[in-house]
Amino acid sequence: MKKAVSALVAGILGVSLHAAAPTEKQAQLAVDMRAMLAALETIQMSGFYNDKEGMKTGVKRLKDGIKSLHSTDAKSYLPDDKAYADKFAIKRATMIEMYADDMVEALNHDNMDEALEDYTQILKQCTSCHLRIRPY
Amino acid sequence: MNRRNFLKIVGATGAMVAVNPSVIRQTLHADTGLFKAYERVQLVDGNGAPIKASALKKETNYVFNYPHVGTPSLLLNLEDATATDVKLKTEDGQEYLWKSGVGQKRTIVAYSAICSHQLSHPTPNDSFISYVQKNKKTMAYNKAGIIVCSSHLSAFDPKAGAKQIAGPAPQPLASVVLEVGDDDTLWAVGVLGSDRFHEYFKSYKPELKEWYGGPRGAKKLVKISAKTVTLNEYSKEIIQY
Repeated sequence: MKKAVSALVAGILGVSLHAAAPTEKQAQLAVDMRAMLAALETIQMSGFYNDKEGMKTGVKRLKDGIKSLHSTDAKSYLPDDKAYADKFAIKRATMIEMYADDMVEALNHDNMDEALEDYTQILKQCTSCHLRIRPY
Repeated sequence: MNRRNFLKIVGATGAMVAVNPSVIRQTLHADTGLFKAYERVQLVDGNGAPIKASALKKETNYVFNYPHVGTPSLLLNLEDATATDVKLKTEDGQEYLWKSGVGQKRTIVAYSAICSHQLSHPTPNDSFISYVQKNKKTMAYNKAGIIVCSSHLSAFDPKAGAKQIAGPAPQPLASVVLEVGDDDTLWAVGVLGSDRFHEYFKSYKPELKEWYGGPRGAKKLVKISAKTVTLNEYSKEIIQY
């Protein structure tokens, strides 16, 4: 009897853990998201020190991180109850790329005000999506 | 300034106003409260033919750019008559009165298609904002027959001045004030409410570069006529949740 109960508990626990475990794609997304967060920190820090090259480095890292959002079906990494919003997520990613490109152009023209405006817009896109997709 | 130069300037200004009365109307009568008069512009179809109010299909999303070349507006002929004298309030508490729709049955309305929350709007690529027909379902509200911004699920009541009824939008969509001519033609004459155009031009600078050559091109005021097409023709993809 003890063995049967233990096996049942172990089974339930195993199933629960498996259900809670992120998929491989979600785990990769988490890695990419952390990389993008680091890239944003690089842009901001470089902006504080008027380091245009540093900002461009941050933009490059940001764009590298965001590639996976385009190359993966968004439905595969969004939470089940938010999977329908895949087009919204992809749109935000596209907008981030657009502002990132504009930031590089602004930096090439020594237009720091414009570059910082682009940075603000990038942050807005990130938070816009997070508010919608992961409201926690 | 001598007398001759003075007379030249007065004469030239008079001629300019005679040719285009809106020049003086915009400078003297604009910005009164939350109504702003713009050029009186006729709505025309893709071939340049005047749109007739009675020919508008019911519950169809039409788009025209007004008052600026780069600011899209939604035109709708609703199933039911609109409310009258609706009191609305902007995010900062300013009150204004939306009179009603136009047309024989007061079913025709037009609103800025720039969401009052985070400025989502139709582009040639896609549109996250649109009217959801009464027989459809939306996640934004418990019934359809409303305008929904599917970006963050804000909902607006087109029968009541696009008052915000659900979601995070803090104020109504701005209204485009319409007139119906004696010959059934449709005209846009101004904008009522808080329009957020300034923020839109600032926030979407890179996008406006792509479609209008930059904010300056997008800010140009529409003159004489505004091409009006269905949202399906305006945007490649309509996203509606």
